[in-house]
This record gives sequence, structure tokens and C-alpha cells, in this order.
Amino acid sequence: MSNQISKTETDLNYCSDKKMPVPPTGPEAKPLPKMTLDGKIVEFVPGDTIMQAAERVGKASQIPRYCYHPGLSIAGTCRMCTVEVEKAPKLMTACSTPAADGMVVHTRSEKVLKSRSGVLDCLLANHPLDCPVCDKAGECELQDYDYEYGPRSSSFAEEKRVFPKSSTRHFSEKIVFNMNRCVACERCVRFTDEITKTNDLVMLNRGRKKELTVGDEQKGLYNDYQGCLSDFCPVGALTWTDFRFQKRVWFLRHDPSICDGCAKGCNIEVHSEKEIIYRYAPIYNAKVNGHWICDEGRLSYKMVMNPNRIIAPLVDVMGHGPVATTWEAVVPFVASTLKSSSKVLLVVGTDATQEECESLKKFLTRLSPSLEIRYFNGTGVKTSAENKPLDHLLRQSDKTPNTKGVESLGIKPLDSGAISGFDTVIVFRNGRAGIPSIASAKNVILWGVFSLEEVKALKNVKALMPGLATQEKSGTFVNSDGLAQSFNRAVVHRGFGLEVARIVEKF
Amino acid sequence: MNDLVITKHIHEKDSFKIENYLKHDGYKASARACTTMTPDQVIDEVKKSNLRGRGGAGFPTGMKWSFMPKDAKKTKYLVCNADEGEPGTFKDRLIITKNPHAMIEGMIIASYAIGAHVGYIYIRGEFFREARMLEFAIAEARAKGHLGNNLYGGQHAFDIYVYRGAGAYICGEETALLNSLEGKRGEPRLKPPFPAQVGAFGMPSCVNNVETFAAVPYIINEGAAKFASLGTEKSGGTRLYGVSGHIERPGVYELPLTISGRELIDHCGGVRGGKKLKAIIPGGASAPMLSAADIDVKLDFDSLMKAGSMAGSGGVIVIDESVCIVEMTCILLKFYEHESCGQCSQCREGSHWLSRLFQRIENGGGTAADLDTIATVCGHMAGQTICAFADAVTGPALSAVRKFRSEFEQHIHNKGCPFKKGHEHRHGEKVPGVAHV
Repeated sequence: MSNQISKTETDLNYCSDKKMPVPPTGPEAKPLPKMTLDGKIVEFVPGDTIMQAAERVGKASQIPRYCYHPGLSIAGTCRMCTVEVEKAPKLMTACSTPAADGMVVHTRSEKVLKSRSGVLDCLLANHPLDCPVCDKAGECELQDYDYEYGPRSSSFAEEKRVFPKSSTRHFSEKIVFNMNRCVACERCVRFTDEITKTNDLVMLNRGRKKELTVGDEQKGLYNDYQGCLSDFCPVGALTWTDFRFQKRVWFLRHDPSICDGCAKGCNIEVHSEKEIIYRYAPIYNAKVNGHWICDEGRLSYKMVMNPNRIIAPLVDVMGHGPVATTWEAVVPFVASTLKSSSKVLLVVGTDATQEECESLKKFLTRLSPSLEIRYFNGTGVKTSAENKPLDHLLRQSDKTPNTKGVESLGIKPLDSGAISGFDTVIVFRNGRAGIPSIASAKNVILWGVFSLEEVKALKNVKALMPGLATQEKSGTFVNSDGLAQSFNRAVVHRGFGLEVARIVEKF
Repeated sequence: MNDLVITKHIHEKDSFKIENYLKHDGYKASARACTTMTPDQVIDEVKKSNLRGRGGAGFPTGMKWSFMPKDAKKTKYLVCNADEGEPGTFKDRLIITKNPHAMIEGMIIASYAIGAHVGYIYIRGEFFREARMLEFAIAEARAKGHLGNNLYGGQHAFDIYVYRGAGAYICGEETALLNSLEGKRGEPRLKPPFPAQVGAFGMPSCVNNVETFAAVPYIINEGAAKFASLGTEKSGGTRLYGVSGHIERPGVYELPLTISGRELIDHCGGVRGGKKLKAIIPGGASAPMLSAADIDVKLDFDSLMKAGSMAGSGGVIVIDESVCIVEMTCILLKFYEHESCGQCSQCREGSHWLSRLFQRIENGGGTAADLDTIATVCGHMAGQTICAFADAVTGPALSAVRKFRSEFEQHIHNKGCPFKKGHEHRHGEKVPGVAHV
């Protein structure tokens, strides 16, 4: 199946890691230059900085940083990444110094450790040290590096600097800002400057009065990628309101998955505890989303956790509307409805995985040979050709994750060609695609993820078989660039919903 | 008393006007350089003269010019640093108001040597009158054909624009100056790349001080050897010393680089009111202090470096016995706290920390451990940041503690400033250690 999908290498300059050089390949490729990193001889790619060369070696040799972010330009201002380069008169910043053949670098020499401890001593001098009430605690780079490199005590005896107006300031509905915690790494300023190009965050004043603020007081913070600010803010200065005070981060389990909020298929990490999703965070993928995800996608976990989501089978035996029941009751009902129907139409939402489409097709054709299959998107676009990027970054107008994939299986859109004479419609969707209005159908069988409101709005619903949302199952999506991406289950479903293969077994 | 390079004719009436300058062989050097010399010859001449940058770092000027790429097609910029912000320094203002054409002529020669066609004068925001005078001088030079296309019948074209800063001290640092010139935040850039590769507007640029440019016509007119002979072995020419503080005759003096601190004070009439000397700051506020015992050191770049201070911008501040060193350092640190651009962690937090600490000691809240803390914080800052600002902060702070430790101990022991009666505090708050933003 996946052979039919071209894995295109798309040129996504904005999100690929521009600064990470790619090793030369081919027969003429010369052997890579070498440098000595903490006594180990390591290879690096020409064009690497010391930071990147260390990054290639592995996580253990990572050099501490605040202002450096692989997706942003180099600032070199936090002075945390300084390393000792032999023959250099001063300590050098690893983020900005290019690696050279034969270079000897010490990242943990006494001089380096003293410098790092000095940086932390300075940063912590005016830091409020409110970790017990700070949401970042546990994933805070200031905290982590302080445990590793910081001075054991501070001799700062002055009163701490306070920014009364910026202690809890809502930059927007999504982001809360606290300048007292800020280490002025300016990742956020560079992000709005270079990535979103909205310039909605700026630094005001200089020196000790330096203060982050919004570029336009009226507009506030308005870019569509504000969650990223909270992701890469090394301290708890910028926090994401949706997650703020919801959960201590050390309780969270991190599972990789794919965002199903739009056709882009951004790689995400699902942060959950006890199978409750608390937030999404981006995972770096140069081919898809780079380091970022949009706010809409970030908040799309709310559909999975929706309290009005139907998580038990429904059946309408008496004709008074569907009522909750068990699988033992709904399966025979659906089977008999299908058998008694003269013609059956299956409408697959474009949020179904490739595997689901395949097994639905196979299973329903066996049960009802007269089956017609159509797909339905219903999120503003009809086919993948109509999908347009909403900005220069990631957001797409197609709000379902698998339109291209469903098309690649040979399924036609719902409104292509007249369909008539069917008396039963099965609507399968995973909560993202719209629900087609098929008023002429006598029986409507819903399959997948639906909310109470959605079911109430439909007529003739005879049965509902609850399914699993994207984060609760494994599967494959094909994104708008034609890239097939498989994912595994991130959380266990907390209701009676079952995946397609398990439901099929029951018939 | 000596050959004067810059200030020879400044006492004449209307010395800033072009007529006066032309009367004294003005614009002969630029004409000579542009018509009879190749750019490389000009650079060689400046190299041979041992002219070192007068802005503070003392980098050899000819060397700086030779770093500029020789590619003729590339746009290059010449920038004059007239952002004279160093406390205790006021020599560039004298040149701008009394002899601006020497500097303009120097810029023409430099532009010819490096192949720049546009020059910017980045002038300190507070110098409003001076900026007007410069614009007047540039207009004069333009009217007389010293600026414009086809200068002196040749192919060289050059024009100068005056750009006023907004009053930040850090914009005197050359890369912060370039950022400010581009309309960005005045924050020093990471080096490398140096301005000679990537400077103003991303193009190769050469930044020199006003005094450096003003010395260039003399080198071309009188020859490199003569200029070099005026100074020391490694540093040619004379230097403008701005002498201020407790001195009988404060002002700007053009003196050879071989002069010592004591000779300079004597030359300026001695310490005011016949009081005893306590210390001098030899090169603008950023230079570490020299106590009265150390002032026999020669005030050139290398000797001062050896003495643990620096020649800096040539602003000599004379401090007599009536001054409380703690209070004075406190005022200096307040200035630095205010002027740190806030990019680098240590400088932003450290200058604030030091300022608070000194204030607390001055106000009587100091403890014995504070002196160690000063050394620790200075250790965090010195040599660890993008630009030399952090070193400039630690210079006065460390030298004050090192050379006048007893005064600090007195403050700590007496729980107050011994130079003040009662609870009189002229600077800072009465309550020790109150932070305010």
C-alpha cells in the first residue's frame, strides 16, 4: 500500500534545520574531519559549530545552552555554552565557534565549569526561585543546569529585582508572561522575528531593566505558534495557559504520535498521565514540521478528551433515538441491518488511517457485496487538491490528516457522481472530518469518534459503534506532501471504544 | 612645546571653518593621496606611522585598513565613531568643534585607501550642536569639491552622512554602533565575523575614532616617519588627553605619548587647591585606577597595560584626597548598571549586582564577606562576554577594592561613609540595599 505513496523529499526551508550541515555523500565524498572533544576523537561535518559537533556525538555530550536553539539564529549572548578551545585566548561559545580539523575542545574543564557556575550565579541572583509554584519546574533549563553546574550557594545579599507590571501578564489568551523569571535568552524574540515573522515580541529597555513585551499593545501576542514559545522558553517566563497549573511535568508520560489536526501531519509528543492527555509538544522532523507545531494542533487533544465524546455503543431498536448499550447488542443489530439492506454506502472520513480504510473495505464488502465507498472531508475542502497552506509555516486548510492517503487507496469523494438507491449509510470518522448530511438514507450507522452534539444533530441514527481517536491507536497517515507516517498508540482509550480490527472480529 | 598634530591652529578665530583650514595647507593631504598615491601606498604609510586607534583599544590603524577586502566591486563603508560616551572623555568634541576638517580630510584619505564611497559619522545623541557643526563642515567641504564624485579629478567618489545616536553608551562599541546605525538595537555583535568582513548593512566596514581620522592628514603631509617619531616605539604621534577632576587647569591637552601621569598633572597645574593626590583614572572611566604611588607610569598603551590599567580613550580623571573612593566607584557603577545593553547574562546581572553591592557598602550596610563577593562577581564577568563592557565594569570595581581596600574596610567597620558627617548620603538611598527598577 505504501508503495503507491511517493515519499517526496520536500524543500521546507523554513522548518528544516538550516544550520545543521548535511554530511556529503557519493563516491567523491572525502573522509570527515575530526576534532577532539573531551579527549574523544569525534567526526564532524564541515560547517558544524562545536555545539553541533557535540550534538552529533549524543545526548551525553550536549553542551548547556539558553539562547541557542537549533531552529533559530545564533545569538551567543547567554554565555552558558562556553567551552575551552586549546590555543584560544578566551573561552569560546560553542554555539557560534565553527569546528575545525584538529581542534581540541574541553567542555568540562575547570575553567569552563567555573564560567558556567558564574553565569548561573548571575542568572539566579535576581531570579525569584519560585520553583515550587512555577509550572516549568521539572523541565526548566535553569533548574537543570543549576543542579549540574550551578554554584552551591549564592552570595547575593541585595533585594531582588522585581518587574511589578510583568509578573503575571497575559500576552494573549494563550500565553502568560513573568519577567521576573526571564533569563533574557531572547529565543522568543528571534522566533517571532525569524519563524513566524510577526515580530509580536520585542525587548524593551536595556541592561537590568530589559523587559520582554509585545510589539503592539493593542494586538498583543497574535501569532499562531504561541505554544512553541512556552516549549522553548528555558524558564517559566512564558507559560501556556491551557497547561498552566494542570499537572506537574514529572508525572507526564511522553509518547510520540502524529497530530491529526490538519493535513500537515506534524510529529508530536503526547504528554499524558493515567491515560489523560494534558498537552502536545512538537518532535523535530525536518521533513514535516521542523521544531514547531501550531496552536490549533496543540489544542486538538481536546477532541480526544472531550467529556461529551460517545464512548459506549448506541443502538436505536425502538425508533425513539439511540440509547447506550453493549457490544453484544449492537453487533448483531448492525449485522442484520446490513444484510437486510439492498444497497450500502460507506462514507469514510479523511481522518481514517490507511489500515482502517483497508480493513473496512474488506470487511464490509464481505458483509454486503453491493457496497459503495466514498470519502468525505467536510472541513472546508473537498479533495486534497483543494488544500492550501494557511501561512508560510505549517497550517493547512484541510483539517483532516489523511485526505491524500484515502485518495491513494482509490476511494472517490462523496459528491463525485450520483449515488442513489442505497438504504443504509455507514459513516466512519475519527473526530476530525465533518459528517455528511445524507437525509435520504433510511438507516444511518455511525462508526468511530462522535460527540453527543453531533449524534443529536443527525436523523435516522440506528446504531453507533465507538472507535478510537488517533492518539489511542496505531496507524499510518499520508500528509499533504505525500509523506506516509506511521504512529503507535500514545494513550489507552478510557471507554468502551474499540479499534476497527477488534470490532470486525465480533461479526 | 611639541609638534602638534591636531590642535595646532584651534585657537585661531573660526578655526572650524574651511577657509581657516585651507589657509594651513588643509585638504592638501587628501589631494595628494588621491592623485599621487595608490590605496596600498596610503595604507603602508599609515602602517609605518604606527598610528594606533584612539578610541580606546589602541588597535593599529593601518592594519585595520588592510583587513578590508580588496574586491573593488563590493560596497564598503567607512564609519567614524564620534559616539564619545566614556565618562571623563571629551577630546573628540574638541576636534569636532574646533578642527572638523582634519577629521573629514582623514576620512577622505581613509575612504580612498579602503575603497569606500560612503562614510557615516555616528555622533553621540547628546552632541546636538556638534552634529550641526559637522553638517556645516561637511557642506563646506562638499561645496569646495572635497566631497562628491570624481574627487581631485580622479575616479574616487566619497560622501559623508552624519547619523545621530540615541544616547546609549554601548553604541560606542563598534559593532553596537553598526547595529544602531542600521536602526537596530544597539547591542554588540558576535565576533567573528569582524566588521571588515560583515559590517554596516552586511557590507565590509571600517570603524575608526574621530581622533584617529584627524591624525591621518598629518601623516600624509609630513610623512610617516615624522609622525612615528613623535610617539613611542610602538605607538606613533601625539595624543589628546582630556584632563578633568581635581586639577587646576582641566581641559584637552595634546601631548606626546611619552608623558607620564605625574608630568601630565604638573603640566595641567597640579592638583586643585594644592591638595594631595589620591588616584588617577588614566583612560576614561573604564580604565582601572592608579593610586598616587603609581602615577609615574607613562601614559601610552603598552606602559599602562603593563601597569595593570589601560590608555583607553585618554580621559584622565584626577582624584584628590577629599574623595571617597567607594562613593566614586559607586557612581561609576551606577552608570555602568544603567548602560549595560543586557545581552550577556553576566554583564546584565553582574553590573546590577555590583552597583547594588557598592551602594550598600557606601550606605553602611556592608559586611566583610562583601569584598570577596565583589571579586567573585568580577570574576564571573571579566573576559566572559561578547564585548569589553564587562571588563570595563570590573576595571574600576576591582582596582578600587585592590588599591583602596582600607577605605572599604573603614566603611564596613564604621557602618557608614567616613567622608560624610552624620547620616548625610549624597548618592543612593538611605536605606541600604533596596532594589528598584
